[in-house]
Amino acid sequence: MHIQIQPSDELPIYKQIVRQVREGIASERISPGEKLPSHRELAQRLVIAPLTVKKAYDQLELDGAIETRRGQGTFVTAAPPVASLEDRRERLRTAVRRLLTDAWASGMSLEELLGLLTEEHAITHAERQSNSTEKESL
Amino acid sequence: MSLIEVNQLEFSYTTDVPTLRGFDLHIEAGSVVGLLGRNGAGKTTLLRALMGLMRPGKGTVKLFGADPVKEPIAVKQRIGYVSEDQILPEAWSLRQIVAMHREVFPNWDVEFAEELMVRFQIPGNKRVQEMSKGQARQVALLCAVAHRPELLILDEPGSGVDPVMRRELLETAIELLADSGSTILFSSHHVGDVERLANRIVVMDYGQVVLDAELDDLKEGYCVVTAPQDDEAARRLRGTPGFLSLRVKNNLLRAVFAASPEDLAGKLAGIPGAGASRVALEDLFIDLVGGAI
Repeated sequence: MHIQIQPSDELPIYKQIVRQVREGIASERISPGEKLPSHRELAQRLVIAPLTVKKAYDQLELDGAIETRRGQGTFVTAAPPVASLEDRRERLRTAVRRLLTDAWASGMSLEELLGLLTEEHAITHAERQSNSTEKESL
Repeated sequence: MSLIEVNQLEFSYTTDVPTLRGFDLHIEAGSVVGLLGRNGAGKTTLLRALMGLMRPGKGTVKLFGADPVKEPIAVKQRIGYVSEDQILPEAWSLRQIVAMHREVFPNWDVEFAEELMVRFQIPGNKRVQEMSKGQARQVALLCAVAHRPELLILDEPGSGVDPVMRRELLETAIELLADSGSTILFSSHHVGDVERLANRIVVMDYGQVVLDAELDDLKEGYCVVTAPQDDEAARRLRGTPGFLSLRVKNNLLRAVFAASPEDLAGKLAGIPGAGASRVALEDLFIDLVGGAI
């Protein structure tokens, strides 16, 4: 899977990795059972401290998104557990606040923002559909 | 016991201006500490004191529980050190330098040394006097890491070398971390390099620690507050919990806080035009040491 980090970003590097793996799983770009690079590989590829990768994987493992199989490596869990609604709400709250601030700053009403969300939802949904068809045809 | 213990260290090159003023630093095994500070802040002096290259005026320096001035050999065998102006014998070839280090360090890892020679693409018969500045730095780094030291001390490893070589130096340090779990203390002006490698940041200014925090906490739990310049506003900012430093730039007060913008939300209400925002480490550093009022 393709992970990119931006060292100067305000989000800590380990959280950037956690977010990308979560997004990869949610958007089905990473499949259950897929092997993730080792701490060493990912640290070398991203040119970051190996402990940062460990911190990210520890968090993902705690979430149940990945699992370490002794002597084999780290894998995306077969069935990612569904976080409680409250957890999912909290996870998104910061992003939602930022979105609302941006919307207000550009003079957009809540209705207009909801319209935009619906529109984008339709587009990304269609993309995911075609992605999974591609995967099947492979 | 911490791997590095510096307590109340004082040192002066001249009689009137102290370079280190009551400096405290404790570093645990396995951490990677990035040392930031302006030129003249005392970074090199601190690192030289750790290497036992100078006797402290006051205070104590302990590495692995030992005094590096009294037990130089025992301490240095467990350390790799690259200084900004490494002095390698001019007429020696890379092979000769490597052979000499192999004699000195019982733990010398021949395979790792060979691997680094291949990576750096420096021919074994090349003499120091024929090397570029970057190549000489690579040789110094090779000699500092090939005995797989428990502690690696790097003084401005990236200064004066091109970005490609700087990245290779970084990659070599990462390989050492991955294989040996070494502790690293390095000073650098390249904040991006520090953000990639370090888990802890120590900012020093005028011979003292002005900030010492985990990098991840710094990103999430620190911010800069700006407000139009005004004496009453400055007084209030200083009195707000979490206040660290204040300076004026372009008629704006700029205060660094050990608090997130969310923490400060209700506390800045009485200060006209005040706003808190998260900033990149480089900007935080500049506001911290860029001159105060």
